Amino acid sequence: MPGLTSSESDELAIVPFSGDSEKQPVVIYPVRHGLKSPINRLSISWGCGNTLRVSAFPKPHGEAGGGGRVVEVKLSNSGDDEEVDAATWRRIAYSSVTPFALLQSRKHSGMSLDNPPYKADWWEHVIEYSKEISSLLSDRKPPPKPIIEDPKSVVNEIAEPTCLKAAWELLEIFYVDKQSQSWIPERLLDWLADYSSLFSGTLPTIHSRLVDFQQELGGVQVVEEDPNYWDAMSSALAVGWLEIVVKLLRLHGSYRFDQLVSRETENGLVEAVAVLISKMPRMRPSLREENLGECCKTKPDFLKAWEKWRAQISKLDCSSYWLQCDHQQTKEGLKNLIQIMLGNPSVLSNATFNWMELFISHFLYVRPFTAGLESMHNLAQKCMQSKPVSSPHKLFGLILGILGENTEVVLAECSRSFGPWMMAHAVELLTAGNTHAEILLHEEHSKLGGVSIEELHRLVYAQVLSSHALTWQIAPIYLTSCIKQGIGLLENLLYKQPVQHSQILLKSIEICRLYELDTISSNIMRIAGVHHWKHGRKGSGVFWLQQARDEFRLSRIAKQLFDFVGKSVSDEGFKQWEGLIELLGSESRTAGGLEFLNKYRNFRRSLLQVHGDTPTDAARNASEALVSLMKNPSTPQRFWLPLLYDSLKLLNWQERLLLNVSQTQLLLNKLQELSMARLRPDFVEADLASDALSSVRLALATTLGRAILEE
Amino acid sequence: MDKGIIDLEEGTTCTAWNYSGRRLASGSTDGTLSLFDSTDPASSLFNCSSKFKVHESGIVKIVWAPPEYGDAVACICADGSLLLWEEVVEDSELLNWKLCKCFDKISSHVLDVQFGISHTSLKLVAAYSDGQVKVFELLDPFELKNWQLQAEFQNVIESVSKFGNVSCQSASIAWNPLKGEIQQSSFVLGFNSDKPQLNSSKVRLVWEFDQDHQRWLPVAELALPTDKGDPVSTVAWAPNIGRPYELIAVATTKEIALWHVGSNPDPDGRLSVEKVAMLSTHDSEVWQMEWDMSGMTLATTGSDGVVRLWQCNLNGVWHEQAVLEPTS
Repeated sequence: MPGLTSSESDELAIVPFSGDSEKQPVVIYPVRHGLKSPINRLSISWGCGNTLRVSAFPKPHGEAGGGGRVVEVKLSNSGDDEEVDAATWRRIAYSSVTPFALLQSRKHSGMSLDNPPYKADWWEHVIEYSKEISSLLSDRKPPPKPIIEDPKSVVNEIAEPTCLKAAWELLEIFYVDKQSQSWIPERLLDWLADYSSLFSGTLPTIHSRLVDFQQELGGVQVVEEDPNYWDAMSSALAVGWLEIVVKLLRLHGSYRFDQLVSRETENGLVEAVAVLISKMPRMRPSLREENLGECCKTKPDFLKAWEKWRAQISKLDCSSYWLQCDHQQTKEGLKNLIQIMLGNPSVLSNATFNWMELFISHFLYVRPFTAGLESMHNLAQKCMQSKPVSSPHKLFGLILGILGENTEVVLAECSRSFGPWMMAHAVELLTAGNTHAEILLHEEHSKLGGVSIEELHRLVYAQVLSSHALTWQIAPIYLTSCIKQGIGLLENLLYKQPVQHSQILLKSIEICRLYELDTISSNIMRIAGVHHWKHGRKGSGVFWLQQARDEFRLSRIAKQLFDFVGKSVSDEGFKQWEGLIELLGSESRTAGGLEFLNKYRNFRRSLLQVHGDTPTDAARNASEALVSLMKNPSTPQRFWLPLLYDSLKLLNWQERLLLNVSQTQLLLNKLQELSMARLRPDFVEADLASDALSSVRLALATTLGRAILEE
Repeated sequence: MDKGIIDLEEGTTCTAWNYSGRRLASGSTDGTLSLFDSTDPASSLFNCSSKFKVHESGIVKIVWAPPEYGDAVACICADGSLLLWEEVVEDSELLNWKLCKCFDKISSHVLDVQFGISHTSLKLVAAYSDGQVKVFELLDPFELKNWQLQAEFQNVIESVSKFGNVSCQSASIAWNPLKGEIQQSSFVLGFNSDKPQLNSSKVRLVWEFDQDHQRWLPVAELALPTDKGDPVSTVAWAPNIGRPYELIAVATTKEIALWHVGSNPDPDGRLSVEKVAMLSTHDSEVWQMEWDMSGMTLATTGSDGVVRLWQCNLNGVWHEQAVLEPTS
């Protein structure tokens, strides 16, 4: 695959590059464990997302002694970390969700209507998306405008520029904004005006020159005698910062009231240049509020205006007034400005400090009709030759990639410098109207398990989001936009959530419901249920297992509840047990055991009430419950004797007879059956008093006698 | 980017994180198991919540049971015994850890153990120093003490001969991490032994459970005919989030091999395999390999004392992406 430039970055790239792996240097990264003893062994474990936990064990019986340490390494950095801190990244991550999701849903609805999304007006949706993302990349509000404007303030910092935003806007200019295609040079000029300060740290720039000059300006009495004054103006003019030049020109000493008469010609020349500068034709639909120049919306208009403007400059250049101007610095300075406007290459070269500035100045004054990426690329190459840079800024690499129409380089530069967030979001810009990029990004790679580069970057970004407890919840938005592997990763992500925390559990279930992940949802609820059950919260345990529809585990729980049957339990214990039976309900499909438990619960409850206010009624109810239990085939045989033994009090009820003949006979038959069963080897003897059987038999015989007599 | 989160006590030899990465178990030479927890899911502050002695001899490896079966760990001890400990609250007592199963140690040591979930039950595969493999099955999901031996076999294709007195130094097991209900449970296993037959390339096998006949069958061998019998130091099965094939890493003393294993068996029940990469480990032995949650990055560590990260580029070429080097 063609051309990946070098990747001498000191960061961990998570994205597989398309370059030649042999040549790609391996990034060495330190893991600072802070232990004094030498390390004997490491042990590794992946946390959620891109978190790697490394346990470092020192040599046993080492001199320094002490134990090991576990170090958490987050591999998910987002490009250059020094520019944007973690909290800002999270804010960006959160606020970019809505525009991204909106664009995806538009794409989706466009597709479902059999309406190719790349039709004529698709880019309008993308530009809306792009503007929204761009606006959230700088949250700082511009400082309030001073009420009394400082006449000597030249350079205004509007908002803190970031490389991230600068890169985003570059992509927007070249890949998305169809309307600006005809005035790309002007857009680049605006772009440089906004972001020029970014280069100041590493390169000499006009911006830094102007900032320096502004500081100097306060102490200068006669500006026109300061060579820096004229240099600053020619530099600003070269890159089209007309308002700065005009403002500086008006600081010229000849405007001062006391000198106006004596320096009339000189002042006339200064003013003439200032007017010409402010009338410069610009091929663009509109100007920003603070900018100077005359807008021309169409090329013919611009051509006409340009010719006229140039003619006026030439005329001024040849004017005889220059001879009458005595002030040498003013004359030379103004002439220099005129040379810039006439597009004198050597003057332009002197006025600019890096190739990007020279590039812009050529657009403005030498080749105002440059169009097409190829010629722009050629021009850029030429400018770079005349102003080579030792350490290229990362944005320069991106610009060259764009101008060279090399999508691979653009991708690699974005990935290297700006990280997974940029990759996941910028792909939408690259594919908005560029067929080559679209094919490249949407093609499925069998070597990558069948995903496209677009999907790969979303997966990588989602993994980055998953690494943090505050951002994992937004990963599903990106994962569900991945057709091939998104759901698989989402399932893994959900499975790894610590669901014993109820908020995380509820959030996970909500995500499952939203994307119809029923299996994983049951699994999560099962994990929660088992956790609660094992940690003594039996009620929650049963509840979540029911939600998970885990019949298998529920029936196991029901079997455990059998252990209570026949045992004399405390009231407290019975209440807990009763509550669980209640919770388990009787609708369960493995109804056998539960049906019995429900009946048994009724029986036990009425048996307890025998001690209450209306003992006889309660006893009658209890005996009916007993008969019903004994009749029911689901009642396990091993509980027959304990049940009857529990009911001795009912059988021996003195006040009245509670069972009739047939009921008593039924119970006697069961007792008989039990005696037969005892002969079998697998019979399990109930844990009861040794005389239990005989006392039950005696009680039943007595009851039968009484019943026969009564009937 | 790198941050120390837990200080381990002197004598700690192994650590294991649970499924969510919110709980760490560490084992030490005196047989003590320590648990570290964080109360807040967003915090990276971990405190020791329990500490108790699990065995007379030291702990060499800890493996967490799947969370569907509670909070439980299997501990392999230096004397070769295998113990299962579980965190429970019983009869309204306080939370505590109790021993629920001590697997009988007859003549051979347990070298590695891994839990695998099939759609009905929990399985546990243990590899023993005599070259035997045992698969245990849990009978009751709430009772981690009731295990049934489901199968016992040697890690060879034809069970014609037994290898007399075999002794293996280490073994490594990796289950197919897929939790789907359709997929049969399967695992891969490799030994490092003094018998070349057990090391031989023919025995880095993938075993799959045949539900119909209730037996384990070897379905793939991760070796080329030209491979010599290098002992396997560790194996790792990558999570599959949608690839049409499985990806398994096998480390020998010389290299890490990456294998694609097809998902559809041929008429003989065998799966197609393809060796897609041989990664040089720079003459160091690999002790541990871990795949990330997407199965796209492999992290390895070993005798060279660093962590290496491996990735595949768009051309399908695997390469070393980064090295994490410990410094004080």
